[in-house]
Amino acid sequence: MTRTSWGATLLTILLSLAIGAAAIMLLGYDPVEAYYQLFRGAFVGKFNIGGVFERFVPLMLTALAFAVSAKVSVFNVGVEGELYLGAMAAAWAGYALTGLHPVVHVPVCFALAMVVAGAWGAIPGALKAYWRVNEVCVTILMNYVAIFFTSYLVGNPFSARTSIPRTPSIEESAKLLRFLKPSRVNIGLFVAIGVLLLVWWVLYHTTWGFRLRHTGQNPDFSEYVGIPPKKVMVWGMILSGAIGGLAGAIEVMGIHGHFLDNFSPGIAFDGMLASLIAKNDIRMVPVLALFLAVLKTGALGMERFTGVPKTLIDTIIAVFILLAAMEALFSWKRRGAASAGEGA
Amino acid sequence: MSSILIEMSGINKEFPGVKAVQDGMFTLEEGEIHSLVGENGAGKSTLMKILYGMYSPESGTITVRGESFPSLTPKRAIGMGIGMVHQEFMLVREMTVLENIILGFEPRRGAMIDRRAALDKIDYYARTYGLSVHPDKKVGEISVGEAQRVEIIKTMYRGAEILVLDEPTAVLTPQESEQLFEILRSMKKDGKSIVFISHKLREVLEISDRVTVMRGGRHIATLDGSSATAPELARLMVGREVFLGGTPVPSEPGEVALSVEGVYVPGEKELSKLRGVSFSVRRGEILGIAGVNGNGQSELAEAIAGLRPVQRGRVVLGGVEVQNMPPRKIREHGLSHIPEDRNLRGLDRQSDVKENLAACSFSEPPLSRGGVVNWGRVREFADDLIRSYDIRPAGVDVPAAGLSGGNAQKVVVAREVSGRAPVLLASQPTRGVDIGSIETIRAELNRAKKEGAAVVLISSDLEEILSLSDRIAVMFEGRITGEVSSSEADELSLGLLMTGGRR
Repeated sequence: MTRTSWGATLLTILLSLAIGAAAIMLLGYDPVEAYYQLFRGAFVGKFNIGGVFERFVPLMLTALAFAVSAKVSVFNVGVEGELYLGAMAAAWAGYALTGLHPVVHVPVCFALAMVVAGAWGAIPGALKAYWRVNEVCVTILMNYVAIFFTSYLVGNPFSARTSIPRTPSIEESAKLLRFLKPSRVNIGLFVAIGVLLLVWWVLYHTTWGFRLRHTGQNPDFSEYVGIPPKKVMVWGMILSGAIGGLAGAIEVMGIHGHFLDNFSPGIAFDGMLASLIAKNDIRMVPVLALFLAVLKTGALGMERFTGVPKTLIDTIIAVFILLAAMEALFSWKRRGAASAGEGA
Repeated sequence: MSSILIEMSGINKEFPGVKAVQDGMFTLEEGEIHSLVGENGAGKSTLMKILYGMYSPESGTITVRGESFPSLTPKRAIGMGIGMVHQEFMLVREMTVLENIILGFEPRRGAMIDRRAALDKIDYYARTYGLSVHPDKKVGEISVGEAQRVEIIKTMYRGAEILVLDEPTAVLTPQESEQLFEILRSMKKDGKSIVFISHKLREVLEISDRVTVMRGGRHIATLDGSSATAPELARLMVGREVFLGGTPVPSEPGEVALSVEGVYVPGEKELSKLRGVSFSVRRGEILGIAGVNGNGQSELAEAIAGLRPVQRGRVVLGGVEVQNMPPRKIREHGLSHIPEDRNLRGLDRQSDVKENLAACSFSEPPLSRGGVVNWGRVREFADDLIRSYDIRPAGVDVPAAGLSGGNAQKVVVAREVSGRAPVLLASQPTRGVDIGSIETIRAELNRAKKEGAAVVLISSDLEEILSLSDRIAVMFEGRITGEVSSSEADELSLGLLMTGGRR
C-alpha cells in the first residue's frame, strides 16, 4: 500500500464522518456534541478504552481471516461459522479438560479451536479448488450449519443445564488474564497482535507465503512455475479458518468464560467489511478494525449522553464502506485497463 | 453478379495498447463467397465484428448497399440483412432448437406462438440448403455441427442475406466441414453472400470466389480464389518475403534430451488437438517447430510442460517418462519453458520484477533457507539478471505490469534461461516484442544451444525458425507433416508443409 492510498483512506474516513454529521443535524442533534461524546465513549476511562480493545480483537482476527482467504482468491463469507466452531471447541476443551496448568491449558484450547475451524475452512476451499464450486454459496450455507450445530451442542450434550443455553464455565486455567478492569479486555489482545505479525511474516517472508500470494494473484502463472495452485488454495483456507477459530476461542476464554448460544452478533461480517475496506491489505487490517471498534464502542456513549441513536453509527460505517468501495472500483478499473492493454 | 453489397474502408480500431485493425478495407459482392484469412490476431474477427456492429471503429466508413455509416449496431446490421455466426455459439442450451431459432422473433397466432409456421420455415431451410436439424431436441443434446446449422438457420430466420462465419470449421470434423461447404454452396446459388473467416488455407481455396489476406490488422491483398495458391497465401499471411536473420550457427548435437512419442492431446473444442506427434531433440541443437498458428503448437508446448493432459503417447525428458506429471516435477527433470503468452502464464503482473524473476528458484538456497525467503539474496539475484539481460527500467521493485512487452518478455526469458536447464522449450519467444529485445532473446536461445541445451523453438515466424533452427518440423492440423534440415529448407517447401501439402 502506497502513501497515497493511506491518504485516500484517511480522506474517506473524514468524508464519511462529515456525511454522518449531516445526518445527525437532520435528526435535530448537535453533531459536534455527538462526535465529542462518541470520542469520550471510546477513549475516556479504562472501561471505554478496554471496550474498544474488546471489540478490536475479534474484529481484527476475523478481518485477518478474510484477508488471508482473499490472498488465495477465495471470498470467504464463512468466517462467522469458523468463529462459532472455534469458540465451541475452545469452550469444550476449557471445561472438559481439568487439572492442567494454564501454560498448557490455554494453548491446548487455542490449538483445538484452530484445528476444528481450519478443517471447516478446508471444505469450501477444496470444493472451490478441485470442483469449482462457488465458495460464496458454500460458505454462507455452512455458516448456518455451524451456528445451528453449536446451538444443538449447547442445548444437549454440552449444556450447562442453566436457564440460558450455554456450556459449563471453563476452568480457571483456561481463562485469559484480564487487564484494564472493569473492562473485559484480556491478553487475547496480544495473542491477536502476535498472530497478525506472524501471518504477515509468513505471507511476505516465507516460501509458503510466496506460493500463497502468487496463487491468488495468478493461478495460471503459479501452475506454470511449478506451484500447485489447488493445494495452495486449500492451505490458504485452512489458515483462514484457523484464524477465525482463534477469534472465537478468545471470545470464549477471555470475554464470556463459556460458550453462549448465538453469542456473536455477526462479528465476522464486520470483520469482513474491515478487510474489504482495507482491500485485504494485511497492514491496513488492524487500522480499519480499530476504527470500526472505536465507532462501535463510542456509539454507546453517544447514545447515552446525547440521544443520537447508536444505529446512526452503522449508517456512518455503511457510508464509509460505500466510499471505500467506490475508491476500490476506480483503482480496479485502472488496473483492468492496464492489463487489457498488454493482454489484447 | 458483382454488384457491391458491402464496402468497408479506412477502418481503424484500437483496443487499449494494441491496434487491432489499421486502415482496414473489405468489399463483398453479391452472391460471392469471400474468405478472410490471416493468423490469429490479424484482425479478421475484429473487422467482421465491426461490420456486425459489435465494435464501433475509431474511424472509417461502412457502406452497405450504397448507404454509408461511420459505425453500426447489431440491431441495425440485422435490419440490413447481415447475420453473423460466432466462434462461440450463442445458443441457450436448455431450450429446444426451435425455441432457439425463433427466440425474439416468434411468429404469433393471437397470443400464442405459431409453432406450425416456425416448423414450416425451418423445414424450408432444411430442404433448400440441406440445413437439417431436430427442432424439438434441446441444444445441449445436439452435436456441434448441428448447433452450427442451428446458428445459420437462426441468422437466416432473421432475414440475413449476408452471412459472416467466424472460423466455422474450427469446431467441425472433416466430414462436417464438407457438409458445411455443400450448404454454403447452395446458399450462394440462392444469391446469398458469405464471408468465411479461416486460417485453414486448403478450405479457403476450395470454397472461395475471392480471398482477402490480413496481417497485423492491415489489409495485405485481395486475390482471386481460382488463381491463388496455398504457398502464396501462406507467405502473405506470415509476412516477410525478405529474410532478416542470419543462418543457424553450427551445432554439434549430443545425446537425445527430449523425445515426444506419438502424443495425443485434447483441445478446447476438438477431441484431439494433437494426433500422434513425435519428434526428438538432441543437446546442442535447436529444433524449430513451424506452422500456421492454431495447428496444435500451443497444445504441444503445454502438454510437454505438464500444463495439459496427455491422452496417449510418451514424453521422455532426460530418460524419464514425464507425461502427465505435475509441472514442478517436469521442471525438476530438466525442462524450462518460455510460454507463448507472457501475460497469462509467463508473469504475475500483480507482482514485481524480483518476485517474477525468482519464481522458479525462490524455494531453494541461496534465495531461501528452511522455508524463509532471504530477500537480500533475492534482490541480488534479480539485480544480476536485470543487468545481464538489460531489463528496463532496471529496478527489482518495478511492478511487472509496468514493463513494456519486450522487457516483460526479457523477464520471462531471463528466469527460464538462467537456470541452465538441459531442455529449453520456447514458445513464440519474440511475439509482440520490439526489434532490440528480439535480438537479445534470439541470442539467448543460441547461447543456450551452444552451452549444450536442447532447444525446442515453436514459432509462427518463419524467418525466426529459418534463422535459428538446425532442423525444422512443420505442424499442420495436429500432426507433424514433415521435417527438414535447415540447409535444405526454404520458404516454399515450408509453406507447402504448413498448409498440409507434402514435399
